[in-house]
Amino acid sequence: MVQLDSVTKVYQKKHSSVTALNEFDLQVKKGEFVVVKGPSGSGKTTLLLAIGGMLRPTSGIVTVNGNDIYDLSEKKRAKFRAENIGFVFQLFHLLPYLNVYENILLPDGVAANRAGLTEVKEILDRLRLTDRAYHKPGELSVGERQRTAIARALLNGPDILLADEPTGNLDSENAAQVMDYFAGFHNNGGTVIVVTHGNEAEQYADRTIYLNNQLL
Amino acid sequence: MILKLLIKEILHRKLNSVLSLLAIITAVTLFVSFFTMSEASKRETIRLTRDMGFNLRIIPKETDMNQFWLTGYSDLTMPEEYVDKFFLYENFSYAHLTATLHKKVTWRNREVILTGISPEIEPSGIEKTSMIFSIEPGTVYIGFEIANSFGITTGDELDIFNKSFTVARILSETGSSDDIRIYTSLIDVQEMVGKRGEINEIKALNCLCLTSDEINPIEILRNQLNEVLPDAKVIINQTIAVARERQRMMVEKYIVFILTFVVIVCAIWIAALAIINTRERQRETGILRAVGYRIGKIAVLFLGKALLLGLVGGIFGYFIGTGLASLIGPEIFKITANTIKPVYSLLIWSVIVAPVFTAFSTLIPASLAVTRDPALILMEE
Repeated sequence: MVQLDSVTKVYQKKHSSVTALNEFDLQVKKGEFVVVKGPSGSGKTTLLLAIGGMLRPTSGIVTVNGNDIYDLSEKKRAKFRAENIGFVFQLFHLLPYLNVYENILLPDGVAANRAGLTEVKEILDRLRLTDRAYHKPGELSVGERQRTAIARALLNGPDILLADEPTGNLDSENAAQVMDYFAGFHNNGGTVIVVTHGNEAEQYADRTIYLNNQLL
Repeated sequence: MILKLLIKEILHRKLNSVLSLLAIITAVTLFVSFFTMSEASKRETIRLTRDMGFNLRIIPKETDMNQFWLTGYSDLTMPEEYVDKFFLYENFSYAHLTATLHKKVTWRNREVILTGISPEIEPSGIEKTSMIFSIEPGTVYIGFEIANSFGITTGDELDIFNKSFTVARILSETGSSDDIRIYTSLIDVQEMVGKRGEINEIKALNCLCLTSDEINPIEILRNQLNEVLPDAKVIINQTIAVARERQRMMVEKYIVFILTFVVIVCAIWIAALAIINTRERQRETGILRAVGYRIGKIAVLFLGKALLLGLVGGIFGYFIGTGLASLIGPEIFKITANTIKPVYSLLIWSVIVAPVFTAFSTLIPASLAVTRDPALILMEE
């Protein structure tokens, strides 16, 4: 499902360069729940964005669902991402001028497998957002914002859910709820990769990977 | 979805949108008001030039010039067909042409000048704004002094040498012999004074063509005239007209310079706002890329906003500019005040040029924003 072969990512700065990933190999099977842990600066987010087709590695191959995603054109990669990958970020990354309903529908405008009204209602209901559907992010609690972000990530029925510190801004109750949603997705056959430096995700994981100075 | 995102974003970042809109409206307003008034300025110059007198006057060759300058017209006449000869002579350059017949007569025990004017003749194939009275047969224009003395008003029926006329217009006071003139059609005057087919002057105006220092038009004209009308002579008075035209052109160039400056400032203003806007929206571009939007689609969001604001700004700018020209124009151009009218073709230009101009000003910051690595943007948090 997800395979990284000798992936290296070097960030070029003005007078120096930083190696975030160095000859990194990884294999995540379909339906696996993987937690990636490590201290700040260990390359966790780089890894996640590279898997998500958002960050081209300096070298190496990233294969997702059998596609070398950086071999695809920008247009095809964007479409692939819209249809196969759901992202959840620590800071939710919702558009401030769209309400919950519109934020959830954001990927729908670009995905081939567009959601129907029933699916949107169902996902709003499942994530307990029905009453907040027409509220803007600024009017939501942090837990509701993260649930909105999860709803957006799940709308088009992706195969893979990539989450970057999804509980980093949440209290323990909301964090547990978020992890429950991920577990639900995983139980339905979805692949989950969660990047975190917290401990709450590990109990849901099939496997935990530790990243520390680019070493497993 | 794109249009929805576009409109929602505009409404969300009101200040940025309003300031951008203001810049566009300013630029379009200035352009529209300038061009609307520039037409008025041109017409005003034409009117002022006309009021200074025709700069080409063709009169019978044997005219006593002493008498001509004293009375303002020739006592002698020449055949009306000279006008046709003039018209058909292709090498002769002129802008507006008319034939007149003047005769001092006594009417209601007062000496008045009866002036017959032929319909304006324009060079074939050239469309020009009419600069000469066009008087319908059976109607008269009455000089200020005569109208004042006899209490004549527009619409009155007058009997002049056994012919019945309707007063079409009372002319404003000029402080010249025009105040004791009765203008009517050439054919009516020819009938009244018994000079059918005769005129005593051909007047031509081409003040707007004489702008080059290198040309000495009088020599060219006299040589040309000798060829076609050997029994006539030409008097040219171009100095004032040319000076006024040159002054107008100078002012026009000056305003074009100012306008260019204003437009550049507006473009920088829009670009600066676009930079602020794109910086504010960097995270947004990252999110959109993460959920699968292509660079092209995101660029449409930025440029679409510019096009939409440009369109709205263009429409508002046109109406405000036209309104300003209608409001201020009559104060500046008093003679041709009534002719300041909306130039509707500018509306089309405004709704085309303003969006393109705005999109162009936004292009660089938008390109930089959408091509920035979305991963780096998202990792900046």
